[in-house]
Amino acid sequence: MSTTLLTGSEAAAYGAKLARIEVLAYYPITPAFPAMERVSKFIDDGDLKTRFVRVESDHSALAAALGASLAGSRTFTVTNSQGLLYMTEVVYHTAGLRQPVVMAVANRALSAPHSRFPEQGDAISQGASGWIQLFCENNQEVLDNMLQAFKIAETVRLPVMVNYEGYIQSHTLEEVEIPNQEKIDQFLPLNRVRTLDVDNPQGVNTVASPEFYMDYKFRQNEAMEQALTVICSVASDYAKEFGRDWSGLIETYQMEDAEHAFVAMGSMISDARIVVDELREKGQKIGLVKVRTWRPFPAEALREALKNVQLVTVCDKNIVYGLGGALGTEVKSALYGQTVRINSYVLGLGGRDVTTEEIKQVLELSEKTEKQTTASEWFGL
Amino acid sequence: MALSIADLPKEDLFGPGHAGCGGCGAAVAGRQAMKALGSRTIVTIPASCMATLGGSNLKTTWQSPFYHTLFEMAPAVSSGIRAALEAQGIEDVNVVSWAGDAGTADIGFQSLTGAAERNEHMIHVCYDNEMYMNTGGQTGSQTPMYAITSNMTKGKTIKKKNMLAIMEAHGIDYVASASIAYPLDLIAKFKKAIEKPGFSYIHILAPCHRGWQIPPEKTIEFARLAVESGLFELYEVEDGNRTRNYEPPFIPVENYLLPQGRFKNLTQEAIQGIQTSVNKHYGRGE
Amino acid sequence: MAKNLPVVPTAKAGSLAEVPAGITWRIQQPVILETCNMCLDCTLFCPDGALVQQNSKIVLKLNLCKGCGICANECKENAIQMIPEYSGVQGVFR
Repeated sequence: MSTTLLTGSEAAAYGAKLARIEVLAYYPITPAFPAMERVSKFIDDGDLKTRFVRVESDHSALAAALGASLAGSRTFTVTNSQGLLYMTEVVYHTAGLRQPVVMAVANRALSAPHSRFPEQGDAISQGASGWIQLFCENNQEVLDNMLQAFKIAETVRLPVMVNYEGYIQSHTLEEVEIPNQEKIDQFLPLNRVRTLDVDNPQGVNTVASPEFYMDYKFRQNEAMEQALTVICSVASDYAKEFGRDWSGLIETYQMEDAEHAFVAMGSMISDARIVVDELREKGQKIGLVKVRTWRPFPAEALREALKNVQLVTVCDKNIVYGLGGALGTEVKSALYGQTVRINSYVLGLGGRDVTTEEIKQVLELSEKTEKQTTASEWFGL
Repeated sequence: MALSIADLPKEDLFGPGHAGCGGCGAAVAGRQAMKALGSRTIVTIPASCMATLGGSNLKTTWQSPFYHTLFEMAPAVSSGIRAALEAQGIEDVNVVSWAGDAGTADIGFQSLTGAAERNEHMIHVCYDNEMYMNTGGQTGSQTPMYAITSNMTKGKTIKKKNMLAIMEAHGIDYVASASIAYPLDLIAKFKKAIEKPGFSYIHILAPCHRGWQIPPEKTIEFARLAVESGLFELYEVEDGNRTRNYEPPFIPVENYLLPQGRFKNLTQEAIQGIQTSVNKHYGRGE
Repeated sequence: MAKNLPVVPTAKAGSLAEVPAGITWRIQQPVILETCNMCLDCTLFCPDGALVQQNSKIVLKLNLCKGCGICANECKENAIQMIPEYSGVQGVFR
């Protein structure tokens, strides 16, 4: 193992390299592009034997990755925002075909108006797509989640998105420990499954009649439910091998005696840890729940983690129009029937800063708010 | 040495039991092409009749790997398949994307031009029935001028986009037109395409009797009349050299056009215009 | 109980030939006459692979034939004749 300074993009690239991806398909988009440039450099330098398919669009990027996966290769792509939306059709299709494609998503706001700044709206838009979605709080987790993503994907036969925020993570240097290749090879052996195989021919994606379609969908959703367990076991196996435990579905921090819980995903978490420490020093019984796995949604784990608190403050860097923050909505649904007070906040859209200061203000505001009058309150306008 | 039917493989890798209409031109094209491509071929087919008639649920007519892709992405998928085969050191497999005129010239054009520009080691086939038959026969860019379709009941008012010229402009390894009425020519072209290290494009005129409003038994006949009248030229472009594969007898274009229900509104003036352009194309100066 | 299905939606190669689609639509079927000169053209023009060469004969696989009539229309020797699936004069279903 060695420690080095890496951006989130580079961390994703190292993850792909350590996973020994065989095919890379990619179309440039900001801010995801440095990840792919780094993988291309690994290839050019001879450090990685990977075929690079230089496609003409995001849609074709996932299409090519999917084709390669069906032909039995481990594949990877990276995108965000408009690119992710453009490939949405293939996103759903890939999940339906149960292909273990891994995609890094450098989360960015969606147009219009045009924005190239961080936000989670792109990933949230794919919440019903059938992809497992992991959110990372720092660059080390980006690398570690990439490797776990391939393991999870190949175990449950579903594609996985590894989300990290544009710029805040994609372009920011942090210390990252790069695991040893041999140990990764043991953790992540290549178990080749060829669906398109001339020696064992099959027709793929033949038209499904009403007698069949629903059963396929049941199986697909069953795999998603199975993933709830697999994500946890992969995280703990990884922790045993590499010494870093990102927990599986959610992580609780300072929650033992907490009365007020802060719940969020992504880069806000590392800031929230600092805020929780600070407020704890002042005697406030506050804790943190990090949602690492957004899909499948860890409802049961959240119910357990939040069963003793009086107040839950959920922060979303996304908005589902006419509904509210996505995580806020899901948390309310998960805690249905419990007496806990839940306040949901939408903040940080399109790159508006969310620092420790904003998190403190939200927590303070939430404590003073007995009952929200809207599904989610907009903070920081 | 010229091909003969007797030397072709007897096995049908595509066709038996397919769910297409009786007299389906696309199915004829598929059967003929697979005689050349052989079983070590992976075919991707985007949304189209050809994808649908391949099978449903747990049954397929295909004896070789076939993948029904989304509408606009077959050449991109095939690029990924080729990349995976290369990464795995598999060299003896043909990679083919097989699309209708929509999946080639319209919604599928972006991924096609991308794969062609990269000169991917694959073959793209356009089976052209000149309208969107899988959705009931709407107009597309490959619909010829004047043809009546389900959404242009007075006939199309603009010309057919020349896909062969467009693909030729990519500077790819091989471009060819083919017709299901000339199977040995078609099969020979596929055999040539297999040998190319880069991208090949084969454009097959495959009439749809329903859309063209002709009797089912005349599917092949009209494919032949298109060639004999000079409206569909059989040629190939190999390493930049263009060769005409068949000298048509130049039967009057109206013999091809008028019996088709889709051209029932054709005026004499329009026919004359078409005849003039055919003559001009072949340099006959009439 | 959900059906036991493959993980990836796939179909078994060639299995459709066991349960051919569409042959119930057939209203006429080809008969190959003695005058057949074995040019084999019909074997490449048939959309359904219903006409196959077996030794020195063209054999019709009736279970695959949809009765489109292309073979009869294309036969240069007029050696294929389409006959009705139901023959009124004889009053029998074939």
